[in-house]
Amino acid sequence: MAPATDWNALSDEAFREAFRDLVARRLPADLRFMRKQRPLFDEVSVWYHALAEEGWLAPVWPVEHGGMGLTPAKHMIYVEEWGRLGCPRIPDHGLGLIGPLMLEHGTEEQKAHYLPRILTGEHVWCQGYSEPNSGSDLASLRTAAVRDGDVFVVNGQKIWTTLAHCANWIFALVRTSRDEKVRQKGITVLLIDMTTPGVRVRPIANLRGETDFCEVFFDDVRVPVENVVGAVDQGWDVAKSVLGHERIFLGATTRPEIAIERLEKLARARGAFDDPAFLSRYARHRLDIYDLGSAFDRFAKVLRDGGELGADVSMLKIFTTELYQRITEETLMLAGEDARFFDDIEAGNDEVDAMNLFLDSRAPAIFGGSNEIQKNILAKAVLRLPS
Amino acid sequence: MPQSIFDDAEGMLAMLRDSVSTLASRQPGPASVRRKRAAGADTDIALWKAMAEAGLTGILVPEALGGTGLSLTEQAVVSEALGRALISEPLAIGAVFASTLLARAPASAERDRLVAGLVDGSLVLAPAWMDVAGHAVSARAAPDGGYLLAGGKRHVDLALSATDLLVVAAMDDGVGLFSVPSGSAGLSVETATGVDGAAIGKIRFDQCRLPGAALIAQAPTEAGLLDEAVCNARVALAAELAGIASRAVEITIDYTRARVQFGKPIASFQAIQHRLVEMWSDAEFACAAVVNAVETLRDDDARAGRLAVLAAKARAGDSAVSICRRAVHLHGAMGFTDECDIGLYLKRAISLNATLGQPEDLRLEFVNLERAA
Repeated sequence: MAPATDWNALSDEAFREAFRDLVARRLPADLRFMRKQRPLFDEVSVWYHALAEEGWLAPVWPVEHGGMGLTPAKHMIYVEEWGRLGCPRIPDHGLGLIGPLMLEHGTEEQKAHYLPRILTGEHVWCQGYSEPNSGSDLASLRTAAVRDGDVFVVNGQKIWTTLAHCANWIFALVRTSRDEKVRQKGITVLLIDMTTPGVRVRPIANLRGETDFCEVFFDDVRVPVENVVGAVDQGWDVAKSVLGHERIFLGATTRPEIAIERLEKLARARGAFDDPAFLSRYARHRLDIYDLGSAFDRFAKVLRDGGELGADVSMLKIFTTELYQRITEETLMLAGEDARFFDDIEAGNDEVDAMNLFLDSRAPAIFGGSNEIQKNILAKAVLRLPS
Repeated sequence: MPQSIFDDAEGMLAMLRDSVSTLASRQPGPASVRRKRAAGADTDIALWKAMAEAGLTGILVPEALGGTGLSLTEQAVVSEALGRALISEPLAIGAVFASTLLARAPASAERDRLVAGLVDGSLVLAPAWMDVAGHAVSARAAPDGGYLLAGGKRHVDLALSATDLLVVAAMDDGVGLFSVPSGSAGLSVETATGVDGAAIGKIRFDQCRLPGAALIAQAPTEAGLLDEAVCNARVALAAELAGIASRAVEITIDYTRARVQFGKPIASFQAIQHRLVEMWSDAEFACAAVVNAVETLRDDDARAGRLAVLAAKARAGDSAVSICRRAVHLHGAMGFTDECDIGLYLKRAISLNATLGQPEDLRLEFVNLERAA
């Protein structure tokens, strides 16, 4: 482990430079700008362990737990540079979800046990929220955990569990009791070792032909009661408190920027910028990205000034996911008859993954709370509209 | 609810917002618009003078010239507040555009007279820069000194009420800005009714004779003469449009909360709620674009500033017009009546959106500028 550095004391530029230097030294070239959006742990473990060795793996965890303790402002630079330099996404549920969950609700024993194992990569986590009949209506979930002495016996099924096939631990929402009036009550957060007998994982192929997510089945899985995080039956509030300032990143310009880079490449190769009709549509997309950046800055400034994000930040998530879709649709349109190909298509001396991005763009408008659910929340929490 | 958010450590911006609110409570915007429309006027002159008294016509005028010497930040805050209140006096053109032109003109007695009158409200200035097709205004030296103006200008705000016109005219060696008293011989004005109720002027110059001192500024090209005024006016227009957009969302939320059908407020229906959220979000994007324009212009990078202004005017114009269209719809049949104020917001938004470049033109200018690099 590198000696502790007070990263927040560095100037923004020096911090940026430090990150760039790290990437130059430790990130293998073949892992940069990977086509795969959600690589498996083994595919990127070199980068994962390098980050851990250099002390850069957990940007927002406190220093005493092996994190960098970055302020939101510095964390935004970290995320920006990560994207700009083409760092591959690492399995990050342990870092982004379990870590903050432990820090806020875990016992000292839980923190001491789980946090270091995330940093070493010994524990690779996935998140068990959705069920076949509980998607947007998550509080209706039915995977049951029944107390039997000093264990809970878990039966049920999770679905859309990202990267479950390379994880060895799952942090699951399970039902421990039923309250007919308030369905959010009686839900508990349970940490489950996926090597326990009775756990079965089945990968699901997505539209892109990749297997990012899975079904996870629980058949009489016995889980020690000390694996509960927070209080039994209070898991809804525990789980809800996890996402803090990170919600801003759901609204970043990253995906539309990747998409428009491809669109521009194809447009240059096909001379489309000379077509006034195309230029008009392109200008709209380009300005949408630019204006999304202005709106993102408004929320980033709140964080820089030490404030907290409100529910209104999800306007960025809706906008960026829809924009990502519009731009990838434009690219397919420009591809003409080449839009029949699943594989990458020719663009001058280069290739463009038009279909890959188009298909990929279907997902973000759904995950993390579909855009329609976001609008329901905004209607209530921000516009205060009546029920 | 949506608003442009700037740092306001000294409370100056809050004070400016209050001063517009006070003005609006004494002279409500919608009533003023209706009076102006009924009279076929281009301004509510009492309101314009009240705005001058409140210091609103001299925000960008340097202190040395008698103004308040504030920045585009303050101008944007005021313009946004005026938009919210539907105070539809043409401040963006009659004050922002005009004062930017004058502040950049070399010192002269005529320039100082115009600026002083603009600031204290004793003069009303009408900038006239768009030529009538095929009749571009030109100025040529008169045989006995001074200049002769000939040609036509269109889309002139304040053409009827103006005491003085600021006329852009082609000269043998470049472009000139001329101060033309409204009663000058050889000058005639006709008007057409604007969609927002204000009269829009078309001006003809028929060998209109001017003294040499009437030439108050000169530049090799029209762009050189006008660019900064266009830029500042676009920021003010964008801010005003953002204000209209934000207020139209609020009015519509209030209406749909009060309107009961099927035994419930229609704002409780998901189809309505999602539309309201989309409108609210569009208004937030407009406000963020205005803030970005003002803040980018503060930096030295002129090209970045230009891009930001183009984006802001395009975004705010698109947002305001489309929000107001949806607002009219959500008011149901009431929205289609002249009695309901929401229609006035829509019409004002259309007019400002069409002033100094529609979104499509601005977006194309943006990408052409960006791609030229």
